[in-house]
Amino acid sequence: MTAILVKAIADLRRRRVQAVVIFVTVLLSIGTGTMAVTLMSQTRDPYQTAFQAQKGAHLQVTFNPKTDPKLLAATPAAIGASAFGGPYLATGLEFKYGDRKYYQNTFGRDTPGGAVEVLKIAGGRWPRANDEIVLTRSFAELNNVPLGAHLRVTSVPQTPMLTVVGEVIDIDEGSADLSSQHAWVLPAAIPALTTPDSRFYAMDYRFPGDPTSSQLAGYVDRLRASLPPGSISGSVNYLLIRSIFNITNQILTGVLSAFSVFALVATIAIVAVLVTGIVISAYREIGIMKALGFTPAGVTGVFTLQIVIPALAACLLGIPAGTLVSQPLLANSSHALGLPYTPSFSISLDLLILVAGLLVVVVAASLPALRAGLLKPITAITNATAPRGGSGRRVRRQAARLGLPRPVILGIGDAFARPLRAVLTVVTVLIGVATVVVAIGLPRSFLLINNSETGAGRYQVLVSRSDAYPDSEVMRILNAQEETARVVAVGGQNVVIPGISDPVNTRLLRGDSAQLGYMVIAGRWFTAPGEVLAPKGLLQEAHLKIGDQVTGSVNGEPLQLRVVGEVYDISNLGRSLFMDLATMAAVRPAIDPFTYYVTLKQGTDVNAYVGRVAAAQPDLIDVHASDTSIIAPVKIIDSVLLVLAAVLALIGVGGVFNTLLLNTRERVHDTATLKAVGMSPRQVIVMVAAAAGLLALVGGLLAMPLGLILHHMLNDVISSSAGNDTPPGAYAVFNPLELGVIPLLAVAVAMLAALVPGRWAARTNVVEVLHSE
Amino acid sequence: MSELVRLTEITKVYQGGVTGALNGVSLTVEEGEFTAVMGPSGSGKTTLLNLVAGLDRPTSGSVTVAGSDLGPLGETALARFRRDHIGFVFQFFHLLPNLTVLENVLIPAQLKSRVSSEAAGRELLAQLGIAELADRYPAKLSGGQQQRVSIARALINRPTLLLADEPTGALDTRSGDEVMELLRQLHRQGKTVLLVTHDAKLATRYAARVVSVMDGRIVDDARLETADREASDVIKVRGEETR
Repeated sequence: MTAILVKAIADLRRRRVQAVVIFVTVLLSIGTGTMAVTLMSQTRDPYQTAFQAQKGAHLQVTFNPKTDPKLLAATPAAIGASAFGGPYLATGLEFKYGDRKYYQNTFGRDTPGGAVEVLKIAGGRWPRANDEIVLTRSFAELNNVPLGAHLRVTSVPQTPMLTVVGEVIDIDEGSADLSSQHAWVLPAAIPALTTPDSRFYAMDYRFPGDPTSSQLAGYVDRLRASLPPGSISGSVNYLLIRSIFNITNQILTGVLSAFSVFALVATIAIVAVLVTGIVISAYREIGIMKALGFTPAGVTGVFTLQIVIPALAACLLGIPAGTLVSQPLLANSSHALGLPYTPSFSISLDLLILVAGLLVVVVAASLPALRAGLLKPITAITNATAPRGGSGRRVRRQAARLGLPRPVILGIGDAFARPLRAVLTVVTVLIGVATVVVAIGLPRSFLLINNSETGAGRYQVLVSRSDAYPDSEVMRILNAQEETARVVAVGGQNVVIPGISDPVNTRLLRGDSAQLGYMVIAGRWFTAPGEVLAPKGLLQEAHLKIGDQVTGSVNGEPLQLRVVGEVYDISNLGRSLFMDLATMAAVRPAIDPFTYYVTLKQGTDVNAYVGRVAAAQPDLIDVHASDTSIIAPVKIIDSVLLVLAAVLALIGVGGVFNTLLLNTRERVHDTATLKAVGMSPRQVIVMVAAAAGLLALVGGLLAMPLGLILHHMLNDVISSSAGNDTPPGAYAVFNPLELGVIPLLAVAVAMLAALVPGRWAARTNVVEVLHSE
Repeated sequence: MSELVRLTEITKVYQGGVTGALNGVSLTVEEGEFTAVMGPSGSGKTTLLNLVAGLDRPTSGSVTVAGSDLGPLGETALARFRRDHIGFVFQFFHLLPNLTVLENVLIPAQLKSRVSSEAAGRELLAQLGIAELADRYPAKLSGGQQQRVSIARALINRPTLLLADEPTGALDTRSGDEVMELLRQLHRQGKTVLLVTHDAKLATRYAARVVSVMDGRIVDDARLETADREASDVIKVRGEETR
């Protein structure tokens, strides 16, 4: 054993560059893998932990204000709830802070505690007076609203002031960047903060165990049956909230896991190439080792150990590094859920990663090393060198027909002289380039979707009105501005759709809404009242398809709808409806829009427009430029993708570098001969670079379809996790020129990587090499 | 005849070497000469050849070939010089194993210019009697055939000077004789040949001039066509090598 170790360490010292290649490759792949596994294990349903701790509501239901509170108090027993909170009198509160106005459903509650939906105070305290309010920490942080801030309520004519006295963590709603937020005041404060139209009741229910989606639907049905028609105006279950909470981590861990596997495959390819190359170059040495008494297992061990030692060093560094890099993401997740963040890692998990990582390296190294172990000593000593690789003749012939310079032709032949090595190298390039394609494509797809959701390029100004200010007045102000090109007004109403347990939030649009840029995946945009579009999530859950008629209900009144299209919309994970505002006139004529998307004429100064419209009614309307920036979770995913692309591209470069190094060392004699017959150093470099270029070109060209397929698949997975089909535009985010340029960039990078081995080859000392026979 | 090679006070000391491989050697070779550099192993004869080919640089002194002082030339210029002026025949042939015979022969021409004359390559192979081997790989050839390919490769660019380093060293006697006959024919056709060998009989049989090197110094320089020296005199000088 000592002899094996001594020999392996001696060889390692001699092959320092290869050791560095293995170290870097394993470091990058094990680091990425550790990050993925740590995130997966440490964030495995953190929501559930917080949900239990805060006695989260399995079901939150809002009721029509005309519903008798006594009837509501009897509902828990009627539907078999094990605990409940409420009924809480609540209102849609509009308030102004700084120059921004916000809308929040605000609940009257005496205490943050209770049997259901415990609100965890993260800062400040619970309200003690009617002019105090508590916000979610998520909302306060996103909008920079500090404790002590004064909010002017604009939804009632008296415009009272409320002071923010506390920040809470509520497990029963998503984060502020993904969901609308709740606020709380004392119950006695509600009457002064509400108009008759904006008040409602809310109840929270918990059931034994963790009810399934269908069980929850059953509870809602029983609730509906126990109350007068139209009593339920909205409901949300914990499964939806949990999905919203987990979606970022789910996407992140999914992406990380997929690319960790890629990194692992690339590492295996590089290790296999390296060991094969070392065995080939050490033929005579293998013979001598065997002559000295090394057993086949001993010889295999020497070659495997040369790889395992740097791999072990890389694991020892990569695993803590991966764990460390995953901490900010874990901290982010804990913070959002109000869970205390403590640096979380699992020693047993890290050990498992170490063992698994090393096992993969050992297998990848020992299989080609077996060739050395099984070699007959006399063959190895007699031949001194391994049989030459194939000539790459066919490739060279093709290249010669193109009239390429001879060094290029020779390099091209060298690239595929050893087909297995070439294939494995192409695999590493392929993985690297495919990842780059995905890392370029996905953020663009996200941007496209973000633009459709935020109306980027479609409208520039968002106006919201207070209930106290009529729709007609807002329209008058907007139409009076000569820069106004188009106004689309948006209202909302929950509609009960058969097959969907919770009432569906509906976007009611007035004006030329087809121009808003919502992505229609199939069918068409509505053109008449009664026509409706919905995302895949709703269509699937309600078993609807384009062309189907469905009878929904609003406040107990039937509403005839016909599905004319499938639209992309991530709100409530694809459970929403889009229709003309006039559709709702059939059941509730009083509905007015509350938000206005304003498209300005070209060249308009948006800020000046915003200032002028806001000045027309400073208190009762909120006017601001449309915010089209990417939301934080998407930014995180984009950044992770970028890092992954860099890691895998680097591994790809390492693969090419490794192969060129082996090729140039293996062909040092040929290079010396070529120099002796007149090949210049520059031509030697060109020859080596040509080999690199061809490998990268083949890898790059193969990577394009693979990258596009991956991009397609990831888009589908992400869209589907948000309850949608992928909009066709999200696939087509590359232009043909880019598709051509990306493989060429891979070629350029590979040729740059070839400069080092190329220069080494160019410096081959002809006299030393040719006379060392 | 004009002077083709001039070595002036050449010294070559290898790294770690106590004594030089060459110590103050001066030598000129005229155009059209067939010169043999003869000496025992380690005498410095191959070093001398490498310096003439521009494969190695002297520690001191100057090397001028075909009017070019090789001293100031960089690696690229030296490569160009070799392409234009030197044909090199090695003891172990040094053919590229993954190229066919014809491709091996054409390599220097293709390095020199994109337009390589396949016809010229085939003609050379025909002249050397190995036309039928054009598409074979070196591994399939005998030593003698490989050396002929190596000579064809050395001639493809019509070099000013043909250098041969122990060209028969890896061959059996018959193949060795055939190769030397070829070199003699090339010399008769006007080619300048500089042959390195440790075999005195071979040197005196084919070369018109024999330069004997020992311990890095020229110890004898015999022009065999002249009346003052006989081949046997040269053999006498190197008697221990020919026993």
